[in-house]
Amino acid sequence: MKKSPESLLHDWLHGEISAEDFERLQEMLRGCSELRKRLRHEVNLDLVLRDHACLDASLRSWIPDSAQDNKILMPVRFLQRPRVAWAAAAALAAMLAAGLFIRFQTNPVVAARQEEMNQGSAILTRVMNATWQNGGSQPRSGDTLGTGLFQLAGGLAQIEFFSGATLLVDGPAELEILSPWEARCHSGKIRLRVPPPARGFKIHTPEMQIEDLGTEFAVEVDPEESSTEVHVFEGEVHAQPTDSDLVVLHDGEGLRRCPAGLKAINTVRPEDFICLERMDAMTQSRAKSRFSAWKEWKKQYCEDDRVLASYTFQRSCNWERAAGNDASTTVSFCTGGIVGARWTQGRWPEKDALEFKRPGDRVRIRLSGVYEGLTFACWIKVDGLDRKYNALLLTDGYEPGEPHWQILEDGRVMFSVAYAIAPDRQEVADKVYYTPVIFNHSNLGRWHHLAVTYDAVKGETTHYFDGKQVSRETLPDQQRRHVIYGSCEIGNWGLPAEGHEFPVRNLNGCIDEFVIYKLPLQGTEMVTLYQAGKQD
Amino acid sequence: MTDSAPPEKYETFVRLFVSHEARLRGFVRTLMPHWDAVDEVMQETSLVAWRKFDQFDPGSNFMAWAAAIARFESLKHLRRKSRERLVFNDDILDLLAEESLEESEVLEQQRAALGSCLEKLDARQKHLLQMAYQPGVKFHEVAAEAGKSTQAFYKTIQRLRASLLSCAERQMKQAGA
Repeated sequence: MKKSPESLLHDWLHGEISAEDFERLQEMLRGCSELRKRLRHEVNLDLVLRDHACLDASLRSWIPDSAQDNKILMPVRFLQRPRVAWAAAAALAAMLAAGLFIRFQTNPVVAARQEEMNQGSAILTRVMNATWQNGGSQPRSGDTLGTGLFQLAGGLAQIEFFSGATLLVDGPAELEILSPWEARCHSGKIRLRVPPPARGFKIHTPEMQIEDLGTEFAVEVDPEESSTEVHVFEGEVHAQPTDSDLVVLHDGEGLRRCPAGLKAINTVRPEDFICLERMDAMTQSRAKSRFSAWKEWKKQYCEDDRVLASYTFQRSCNWERAAGNDASTTVSFCTGGIVGARWTQGRWPEKDALEFKRPGDRVRIRLSGVYEGLTFACWIKVDGLDRKYNALLLTDGYEPGEPHWQILEDGRVMFSVAYAIAPDRQEVADKVYYTPVIFNHSNLGRWHHLAVTYDAVKGETTHYFDGKQVSRETLPDQQRRHVIYGSCEIGNWGLPAEGHEFPVRNLNGCIDEFVIYKLPLQGTEMVTLYQAGKQD
Repeated sequence: MTDSAPPEKYETFVRLFVSHEARLRGFVRTLMPHWDAVDEVMQETSLVAWRKFDQFDPGSNFMAWAAAIARFESLKHLRRKSRERLVFNDDILDLLAEESLEESEVLEQQRAALGSCLEKLDARQKHLLQMAYQPGVKFHEVAAEAGKSTQAFYKTIQRLRASLLSCAERQMKQAGA
């Protein structure tokens, strides 16, 4: 059945038109000004739809996941003012004046971002073996918490309120955050440390209201017995039991309120409540065991002869400027040269990483050989996407067979390989493989495993994020191609051809491990790589 | 180049470019096989336009001037990627370029009208369009996510598009009347 001009037009718009249909569309366009007009209007509509979707995506990506998909923990709200075109223009003018490269945005997203206001009350700074109730909200450490219920089914959590108070929750427990100055404990055990600036912090329970005057104290609420206990370890607390007079409690004093009445607690039990010191020790021992497990596992993959180069970024001294290559077939020139990038802590306290911040920061490497494919896999913490292109690994030039791997400003990852358009011709083209948006506000500043595999024979590229496949694309008509490297850089774009307009591609973030394989790994192996190296 | 130019010149250029950017993008998309290519061509266009800004006569039409550059950059891009199958022949490119330039004001009014028509859709419809047109996604993936067959998803989107276009047309007629 022959397709109508409209459906040909739509196929073309979606980039899903066959060569044959394309020829037909072209013939129709040639003879019909009405159809050409239709095409322009459809393109115009596409432009509007994409602009809106892009603006939405950019704003949405700056709201934490937990705020998007659960209603129990109230979302952190970002107040957004209307799009202000002049602000975008001013930002562009500033860029020009600074002598930076010019780039024009379709949407004044940058302007909108500057208008964000974070409406949180607290930060979840640490969790330990935490499980959450009803598979509902799954906050991760580092998340900003707004007002709302916080339901811990088991494990420990440390919440730091914007007022300065630190609260430890020992699951199972149900806490409701009311403001930076107030929380309600519905059940479970909590312990609070309230420094002088947070004096006046209040805890409500069904049986009591407790106001803190700069101290350390703990609360246990047992809904089955309808009881509340407060234990003061240091300082002074005002406890106001429901329908009773205010009780002032000092160091070593406690109070229990239950249906039978009020009762003083003569011996407080600090050991019954988790404290910061114990939590520190647990976190450290957990990190230690993860680090040793990873070290053990790494031994075997260092012997994997599919590895072309493996940079673990572990220093021997602060001024270490060589990035050691642990691959079994190590040859000296595979050692990377660190330029600018500074040492910092990696996934665990005992593991190092390199921090890339300034436009000059980079690791220079040189790899030789011709391959039929590749896998890049790295542990990365992205702190921000400052550039149009943010480098992961790029070859210095862009000759046929040379790969470029980078993160786009909007959070998508892009992998591309250059190829000669015909064996006997000089011209070079490239094929770019994109992922959907991966990096957003909720995963910046965290360690993630990022990988890409490329099969140069089949023309197939697969992207992975934390062990999961995020996109796969196969070129239907790829002729046998190859992969080569030469001089390349991690975290920047080395020495691009003179006069190139976008040479500033430095990464803003940290890399803790970077492995390059000679062939595409399978999806199951990606899961293993992620499991073996994940932070906790 | 950028170091020596007076600040007023940046401002003039930025103002002009920003105000014509949407029109230029639409123009380039009529010539290019997909949106990713449009971004690349737009980057090149902005740079070339800035470099040649001295040659621009402030009394003349910026859109026409910039579109000429955009058209040239599009052709350069297409030639570089001459293995791309879905590229129109030169005669069609010429026709499309010429006509969209003639029509560029109408297209701009249409975009404004489309924007307000889009606002009138209900939340579910907006969400569908948002999913379908967000950067870097493929139609069939979105269809799967929305729990529909690709065919059904296409049809829904097509219907929404058609209703948006006719809504915009009505609005423009009213505004013109």
